[in-house]
Amino acid sequence: MFTQTIAYGILVGAMYGLITLGLGLLMGVMKFLNVAHGTFIVLGGYVSYWLFTHYGLNPYLSIPLVIAVMFVIGLAVYKVTLSPLLKLPDVGSRLNSSMLITFGIIYVVDNLMTIFWKPDVRSIVAPFTGRSMEFFGTKLSITGLCGFAVAIVIAVVLYLVLGRTQFGKHVRAATQDAEAASLCGINVQRTYLISSGIAIALAGIAGVIIVSSYSISPNSGLRWLLVAFVVMILAGEGNIHAIVPAGLILGLLEAVGVFIVGAPYRQVVALVIFIVILIFKPQGLFRKRRLTYG
Amino acid sequence: MRFHPGFISILAVIAACFIVLPLIVDLGSSTMNILILLFVYVILSQSWNLLGGYTGQINLGFAAYFGCGVLLTHLLWKSGIPIYLAITVGGLSAALLAGVIGLPTLHLRGAYFAIGTIALAEALRIVVGNVFPSSLSLPGGYASNFNVFPRYYLGFGIAVLAIVSAYGLVRSKFGLAMVCVRDDEEAAQVTGINTFKTKFIALLMSAFFAGLAGGVYSFNRFYFHHISAVFEPIWTFEPLMAVVIGGAGTLIGPIIGSVFLIVLSEIFVQTLGEAHLIIFGILLIPVVLYSPSGLVGWIGWLRRAVGGLTMTHDR
Repeated sequence: MFTQTIAYGILVGAMYGLITLGLGLLMGVMKFLNVAHGTFIVLGGYVSYWLFTHYGLNPYLSIPLVIAVMFVIGLAVYKVTLSPLLKLPDVGSRLNSSMLITFGIIYVVDNLMTIFWKPDVRSIVAPFTGRSMEFFGTKLSITGLCGFAVAIVIAVVLYLVLGRTQFGKHVRAATQDAEAASLCGINVQRTYLISSGIAIALAGIAGVIIVSSYSISPNSGLRWLLVAFVVMILAGEGNIHAIVPAGLILGLLEAVGVFIVGAPYRQVVALVIFIVILIFKPQGLFRKRRLTYG
Repeated sequence: MRFHPGFISILAVIAACFIVLPLIVDLGSSTMNILILLFVYVILSQSWNLLGGYTGQINLGFAAYFGCGVLLTHLLWKSGIPIYLAITVGGLSAALLAGVIGLPTLHLRGAYFAIGTIALAEALRIVVGNVFPSSLSLPGGYASNFNVFPRYYLGFGIAVLAIVSAYGLVRSKFGLAMVCVRDDEEAAQVTGINTFKTKFIALLMSAFFAGLAGGVYSFNRFYFHHISAVFEPIWTFEPLMAVVIGGAGTLIGPIIGSVFLIVLSEIFVQTLGEAHLIIFGILLIPVVLYSPSGLVGWIGWLRRAVGGLTMTHDR
C-alpha cells in the first residue's frame, strides 16, 4: 500500500512539474507573473479534447498540434497585452501589472470557454483510459505513465533548448541583463516573444495530460494555477531546471500527506506546504543556478 | 484628498436620494435586492482599495474575510444572537482571521504576498467545504417576517461608514504612511515608518469591512446551498476589478467601479449570463496598461478637457 502511494506520488509529481514549466519560464525570463496560466492549461486541454472527439486523434499524438495552436496564442498574448509592460522600469510594478492584466485574460477566456463549450466537466476517454500496468505488485495507470513520460521528455527538450542552442543563449542573456544583451546585438523583443509562445505552448501540453488523466471544465484553471505556484516556489523563482524535481517533491509530499489526513484535504496539504516554504525558505529548496551553464 | 464644497453637496444629495427614495416610491423587491448587492460591492471594493489601492499590497485572499463574515453572521444569527451583534462579531472575526493570515504573509513582498494570500484563502475554502458539506438554512420563522428595509438601510449605513472611514484614514498621517509604503517601501522604512505595522493595520481595517459586507450579505439570505461558495475567489476578483477599473487609490474609484459592475451584470444577466465579466476583463487590460488611474482618471481628463468644475483628487 505504501509503495503504491509513493509510485502514485511520483507520477503525479512529474505532471506537477510539467504544469509549472510555462509559468516558471515567463517568471524567470521576463518577470511576468501569468495568473492566467491555469486558464491556458484548460484551453490546451480543450484543443486536445476536440481533436479527439471530432477526429479521433490520440491525445498524445495531438500534442504537436496543441503546441502549434497554443504557441500562436502565446505570441498574440505577448504582443497585445504583455509587451507594453516592458517599459516599466522596476520588477515589482512589472509583476503587479502583469498579474492584473492576466486576471483580465482569465475572465475573458474562462467566460468565452463557458459560452462556447458549456460549463460541463469533460475528459478524454480513450481505449486505454482506466487501464493499468502492474510492476512488482504496484499498479500504475497507463495515462499516469504516459503523462510521466511526456513530462520527462518535455523537460529534457526544454533543458537542451535553453542550454545548447543559440536561441537558448539569447534567452539566458536577456534574462540576466536585457539591456546588455540588446547592446550585444541580441533581439531581446523577439527572444521575449518566442519565449512567451513557448511558455503558453507548455501550458497547452500540460492541458493535454490533464484532460487525458483527469478532467477539465472552463473554470478549473485556478486549481492548476495554485499547483503551479506551489511548485514554482519550491523550485525557487527563475530556477527553471529545478521545476520538475520540485514537482516530484510536491507529488511525494502530497501523496504521503493524503495517506495521513485523507483525500478531501489533498489540496490543503499542498497549500500548507506552500505557505511553510514561502515563509521559511522563500528562495526555494534548490540552490539557484541562474541559467548559466552550457 | 480635498473635496470642493460643491462636490460634497452633490454627494449629500445622492445620499439623501438613497435614504428617501425607497420610502416614497415602491421600488420592488428585485431592485431593492440589486441595491443591497451594490452596497455589498461598494463596501468590498472600498475595503480592498484600502490595502490594494492605497497601501499597494495586492490581496488575492480577500474572499476569505468576506466568507468568514457571511458564515459567522449566519451561524450566530441562527443560534439566536441579535443580527446586529452577529454582524459586528462577523466583522471582528474577519479582522482576527486577517491578523492570523497577515502575520506570516505580510512579510512577503509584492507578488509573493498575492500568491500567499490566495493559497491560504483556497485552503480555507476547501476546509469550510469539507466541514459544512450540506446546505445551511435558517429556520422558517426568520423568513416569515421578512422586511427588506432594515437590510437596505443597514447596507447603506455600512457602505457610508466604509467610505467615511476610508476618507478619514486616508487624510490622516497614517494614510500618508500607507501611500508611502505603496510608492516605495524601502524609502518609507528609511524615513522611520513602521512598514509592517502600517500594512498590518490597513489589512485589519480592510478585513473588518469585508466581514461587515459579509454580514450584510448574510442578513439578506436565508439559504446557502454550498456555504463554501461565499469563499470562492470570485469574491476577491470582482471587487479587485471594480477597484482597478474605477481607479485604484482613489475614494470615488471603487464606488464608480462597483456601480459599473452591478449595472453591467444586470444588463447581461438575462441574456448572456456571465458575459459582463468578459467585458470587465477586456476593460481591465487597457486600464492597467494605459490609464492606471481608471475611470476616475478619465473623468479628470474630461474635466480638464472641458475646463469645468474644480474637483481635485489625489494619485
